[in-house]
Amino acid sequence: MPILNPSQPAVPTIVPTGQLRHLTVEQVKRSDSNPRHLFDADELLELKTNIAEHGVLVPITVYQAKGQAKFSILDGERRYRCMVDLVKEGRRGKDGAELTLPANVVEPPTKIAGLLYMFSIHNFREGWELMPTALSLKIVMADLGTSDNKSLNKLTGLSEPQIERCKKLLLFPEKFQELSLDPDPKTRIPSNFWIEALPVLDLALETSDQLKKLGRDRSTEKLVEKYRDKKIKSVIHFRRIMESYELTEDDAPARSKVLRRIEEFFLNPKLETREVFDEFVVEKKRVQNALAACESFLIDLRKFRLRYTASDDERSNLRRALHEVQEYCESLEEALKGSDDPEASQD
Amino acid sequence: MRRIIHSIRAALRFRGYKPKPLSILSARRWAQQFDKNDRVLAEKLLDGVIYITESETREILVKQNDDLMSRLKVAGLPAKKLIYVSVHDAASSSSVMLNMLRDSANLERRGCKIIDGRDTLGLVKAMNTIGEGALVYVDDFVGSGTQFCTERDFIAKNFVGTFSEFIISPSICEEAFDELSKRDVQVFAGHKHVKSERPLYAECTVFNEKQRQRLTAICNGIDKFGLGFNGLATMVILYRNAPNTVPVMLRGSSNQKPYFGIFPRTTDLPIPAQARS
Repeated sequence: MPILNPSQPAVPTIVPTGQLRHLTVEQVKRSDSNPRHLFDADELLELKTNIAEHGVLVPITVYQAKGQAKFSILDGERRYRCMVDLVKEGRRGKDGAELTLPANVVEPPTKIAGLLYMFSIHNFREGWELMPTALSLKIVMADLGTSDNKSLNKLTGLSEPQIERCKKLLLFPEKFQELSLDPDPKTRIPSNFWIEALPVLDLALETSDQLKKLGRDRSTEKLVEKYRDKKIKSVIHFRRIMESYELTEDDAPARSKVLRRIEEFFLNPKLETREVFDEFVVEKKRVQNALAACESFLIDLRKFRLRYTASDDERSNLRRALHEVQEYCESLEEALKGSDDPEASQD
Repeated sequence: MRRIIHSIRAALRFRGYKPKPLSILSARRWAQQFDKNDRVLAEKLLDGVIYITESETREILVKQNDDLMSRLKVAGLPAKKLIYVSVHDAASSSSVMLNMLRDSANLERRGCKIIDGRDTLGLVKAMNTIGEGALVYVDDFVGSGTQFCTERDFIAKNFVGTFSEFIISPSICEEAFDELSKRDVQVFAGHKHVKSERPLYAECTVFNEKQRQRLTAICNGIDKFGLGFNGLATMVILYRNAPNTVPVMLRGSSNQKPYFGIFPRTTDLPIPAQARS
């Protein structure tokens, strides 16, 4: 039998903090939470050309976790990536030596500091990766004792709508949150599913006695089962349900029909979203009217030549009115956002 | 006579293989599946197997873990700062290895936390409570490292606090080291499975080029993935199961038809008629 050759890494040297070191790329570990699409390719190329010519002039900031062999980047991921590319291309320093990165070694960040740093990166992330952000936000809210959106926005850099979406995710029991943390994209329930399902669940449980009896968790499970069975082909289809409800506000018989359909939709696993609710939302005139209204609003405003309005009162009134329009438009635009997880195949 | 002795030796050496214990007769029948000229090659291939028994597995896991714990203690991370994580599915080899290590090394009594890698919330909570520590993944075998790294990268999105990462495993292929190193997952393995130990690789001198090509052709004739997942053609067999990176000549076809293997994988064994009804 061949001899078993054990393999163990070398003992990492403990490096005092507050030190400027020159590290090779192999001694540095890239950040796990830094998504690749964060970096603009053209800017990265420009930086790389600059580094190839002058070297890294501003040291990166790194720390070494206890027991860790490499240094983790706190600041300087772009400089590091450029250097990795240059090393791959076989570049050497002017003296022919291996390329190195100047690095300030600092203490590992505290838990909250680490989370806040991660948030600054997550700002650039897409909606379908929201569950990890939501979980981290929960820790920040608990540790810092605040759940106010404005304070959280200042602390984390997440926009208020993003914070609101995270909070919606946290409203679901952990057993459902866990479904969005499944490593397998084929079985993972995308975070957007919960965000889009929430108003439907609230409405259904408020209006259906049968669903009330069934309970919130079981009703949620029914939606999950439907999604897995491809009876909800896109998370955006939840909007058809809400749209059907809103559109029948002034039509009592149609409204009660929608409510009956919602109940049936939950209870009958075979019913697919579009076949149940499309008849209520076929009317496209509303959106066309809204588009026309946006266009004429802009044309009218431009016609008024308001840019050089002189009167203080008039300017103040106009600004107030525009602010109101802006707020409504922004909230509407935010509400219209949403998409399926590109990794989730529901076709 | 030489064949009989070879079969006896194989049956004795691999008798503890759990999915299907080997007898002298089945060892002989296995060799007889191949043409007369190929039998010598098949038997020589079998000689190249690196078999890790249950007791060796336990011994390796405990030894590597002791070394890791001592090192972490010196680095300022006592046992209560360590989270042991199984990767892959609940019933996978990783969970079995972790359970074995937990029992043999008294991990829970020493204050370590044990988490199923799929329980992301549990992991986040444990990391949040500890704040600073080490994550120790436990697995039975790592081939290319792709599967491990994919799962690890997904859970890494949820990491909270400052944690260094380690993997303990009885055996890890050399191909995985680069991927693990990129993530600074430090390897504590009983065995580094290098290419020169794999007879179906040019780096290995067990066979000459012609013989190697013949064996490769037999494997690819049985199955299009005849050399195993990613063409790794690994030779490490654990008492509990054969990795999917092992050549198909040794592990047999799916359902063990038309070729049966000396080391059938549990998922390749035919389902007994009673269980099917």
